[in-house]
Amino acid sequence: MGVPSGELLPSVDPVHRSRWKMKNKHKLFFMAFPFLVVTFIFYYLPISGWIYAFYDFIPGIPLSDTPYVGLKWFKTIVSNPTQTAEVLRVLKNTLAMSSLGLITSIFPVIFAIMLTEIKSGWYRKLVQTLTTIPNFISWILVYALAFSLFSVDNGVITHILVQLGIVDEGYNFLASSSNIWVTMIVWYWWKSLGWGAILYLAAIAGIDQELYEAVEVDGASRFRKIWHITIPGLIPTFFVLLLLSIGNLVNNGMEQYFSFQNAMNKDSIEVLDLYVYNIAFANNFPFATAVSMLKSVVSVILLFAANTLSKMVRDESII
Amino acid sequence: MRLRRASLVMLSVILVFVLAACGGGNNTTANSGKNTSTEKPTSTATNAPAEETAAPDDRALDHSKPLKLTVFSTTANYAGPQTGWFAKIIKDKFNIEMDIVASNLTGGDTKISAMMASGDLGDIIIFGDDKNHYPNAIKGKLLLDWTQDGLLDKYGKDIGSTFPKAIEKAKVAFGGGSSVFGIGNNVASNPSGPSEGKDMTWGPDLRFDLYQQIGAPEISKIEDYLPVLKKMQELEPKNEQGKKTYAFSMWSDWDGNYKMTLAKQFANMMGYDEIPDTAVYVKADEEKYYDFLSDDSWYMKSLKLYFEANQMGLVDPDSMTQKFDDVVAKFKDGRLLFSWFPWLGAANYNTPERTAEGKGFALVPFKDELMYSTGFNVYGGNGIIAIGAKAKEPARIMEFINWMYTPEGAMISAGSGTAVPNGPKGLTWDMDASGKPVVTDFGWKAYADQQNTQVPAEYGGGDYYYGSNQMNFSFVVPAMVNPDNKEPYDHNLWTTTLERNPSKLDSDWRAKMGVLTPKEYFEKNNLLAVAPQGFTGKEPLMMDKTLEQKNKQIGTVIQQISWKMVFAKDQAEYDKLNKEMHDKVNGLGYAEVMDFSIKKAEELFEARKSVK
Repeated sequence: MGVPSGELLPSVDPVHRSRWKMKNKHKLFFMAFPFLVVTFIFYYLPISGWIYAFYDFIPGIPLSDTPYVGLKWFKTIVSNPTQTAEVLRVLKNTLAMSSLGLITSIFPVIFAIMLTEIKSGWYRKLVQTLTTIPNFISWILVYALAFSLFSVDNGVITHILVQLGIVDEGYNFLASSSNIWVTMIVWYWWKSLGWGAILYLAAIAGIDQELYEAVEVDGASRFRKIWHITIPGLIPTFFVLLLLSIGNLVNNGMEQYFSFQNAMNKDSIEVLDLYVYNIAFANNFPFATAVSMLKSVVSVILLFAANTLSKMVRDESII
Repeated sequence: MRLRRASLVMLSVILVFVLAACGGGNNTTANSGKNTSTEKPTSTATNAPAEETAAPDDRALDHSKPLKLTVFSTTANYAGPQTGWFAKIIKDKFNIEMDIVASNLTGGDTKISAMMASGDLGDIIIFGDDKNHYPNAIKGKLLLDWTQDGLLDKYGKDIGSTFPKAIEKAKVAFGGGSSVFGIGNNVASNPSGPSEGKDMTWGPDLRFDLYQQIGAPEISKIEDYLPVLKKMQELEPKNEQGKKTYAFSMWSDWDGNYKMTLAKQFANMMGYDEIPDTAVYVKADEEKYYDFLSDDSWYMKSLKLYFEANQMGLVDPDSMTQKFDDVVAKFKDGRLLFSWFPWLGAANYNTPERTAEGKGFALVPFKDELMYSTGFNVYGGNGIIAIGAKAKEPARIMEFINWMYTPEGAMISAGSGTAVPNGPKGLTWDMDASGKPVVTDFGWKAYADQQNTQVPAEYGGGDYYYGSNQMNFSFVVPAMVNPDNKEPYDHNLWTTTLERNPSKLDSDWRAKMGVLTPKEYFEKNNLLAVAPQGFTGKEPLMMDKTLEQKNKQIGTVIQQISWKMVFAKDQAEYDKLNKEMHDKVNGLGYAEVMDFSIKKAEELFEARKSVK
């Protein structure tokens, strides 16, 4: 630690001063403390809300006045075949969207490599800025944009397609359920590609330049350099992110699907997070809590499984 | 190792402290919340005598400080500060400003649940119905008891004297026999006859000019509208701006309570209405009901009708993704040919210029139409206005709500939300020499074209529409007779209005129908089914949590698949979806919901006996 110890001395009270050898430990501990508090408040405290799964909770009425129902809401999930089918449908959507996300998580790697291969500095910066900006636009605004592009009445793209005779007037793209998973993943990468590439750009910048010079002396082509140096240099970063996203397999967030959902596509894009939200705010918090509890359990299991697998295959782990 | 353990112990100790602090914090806020809610009325009660010494009349409240009220309305279609002429009136009279929170615009039930969970619903709360949220809010102690410290007796005298039955219902049904937590909408003091104004709640209205141009073919059943509308569309395929016209343009943001909202209107035109949140439709004036997913139900027949209309190119393809406001704009632009409601098509399309040319929406009934009519309700409707438990200055709020139920308040804004309110006296209407109310020229302009009529600055400025009371709550039923001048509150029913020169559209319509108003048509031909508005004298039946869960899920399935059925590609897909819907809801426990629904219907029949 570069902090001179003398500077901290006056603020340490006499009791601590007498236990001199604890000092560094304390220093580190207090440095970490704010983060521990934040972590506790935002990640552990909300767990206390799990208690709602065991009551017939109605918002506005204190828990003490609500009947305790034990595992009723957990049993409801499998109480009848239709309900179970609903949960399975939602799980299918969740896993499908996540798997598509996992498969396509190679996109930012490719994009980052291509970006670094652009020799013109201003052009590279332009591309990077333009692809990163959408990350800061909320999904609600993305939907507004989609609506202005694709609405039947005033949609710019719809209008062009009609003029070209490609589609029939009156086709509502947003209310179409065909290829909805692909459409969703396209929107997702439109929004996150630039942002996702940032980590890889940093990793590429961290690769030792001498390696490149060495292979250049050996006469390696541009493609060979990418294949033998850049990609191996990116693999550790890629794997860490992959492991994390496997752990997040059941958490694909709800904002995107919430904004895009309508009667036509809801069957196919209602993922677990959105399902929990829809159920909860249809005034059934206990059931939604029960489902989201199971979700958390599955997440933890998945993360450890992926971690173990990674340990076995690559002898590398994140936990 | 030892040190590591020490730091771990320390960490856990700190976490325990933080936890204790958080928990403690919660408790104290909860307690203080409760304290304020119980103490507030007492503090105003102690204030009141102090004011009494200042002013001899104990009803005179101090209005010198501006009172900013948060109005949480589950029915409003506008959010933000109340502006314009209504804002000016209540500012001048009560020094009250309103900020409206509209759950309709921010997530619907989601917003309501979030507000409930937060423990503070605002100062004034408007519930669209008295089914779930209202009783839950009472249980959760989120609402103020109006009888506390004589609030209602002192500042709500007019409600008590004019509408005693409404108070009685509030006490028996929701207040455990003694408390009053809110009062119903559209209250009346006389118990019989249809309560609507000149127009009924439903139409159907067509573009009357086009209908006449195609030869005004007779319509004997609902399905006959489709070929007629098709011909009308062929006659006017584009509006003035060259945009395509449609017969039906729908919106999904009002869906809820079990159904695709726009698929229930034909049931209303057959004398039936739903019981909200249940699976039955009941006859207005008979002890009859039907399961609304059965083949002969008007809900299912409506879906089929829209499906066929869509096959014929009569349905706006944006229907599923647009909002109500988009549809209003389309009516204004003359892009639509059919309106379920007089307050939608005619209210937005029929400008004075258009009606003078004979263009406009007017009632084109089918032969056996039996119009559902809500009878006068001495107990108040299912909409509820309430005061929040944490409201600041409840006495002033009570005084304000009371005023809305007086003739003075009703003359200004009776019917707000469903009918065009009369507006400020002296601007849009006035009393003539014989003491009868009469609409001014400016008034006619404002009523016909609410959004484009600028109100003069001395009356609050802004346009007439946004200046109206945006709470979207009708306190007194507009057709009720004003005791002060013996004319109904609704300007459409004033003698002076009925005697006024009709527009070309009106005279064309009157010539064809042989009556002056739609209401007269239904009354004369005996085509009204008036639902008596009674009350069982008991607490209403409520679903338990498990059944409610099933019911909500079934409702979502029905809504979603209904839309899909309307936009199905062909008959085969339509049938497949229909089967899927029935299979799904049956699997989710439709039978149980049906049992409950029948009990609800029986409850309603019992209630009706109280006014027969």
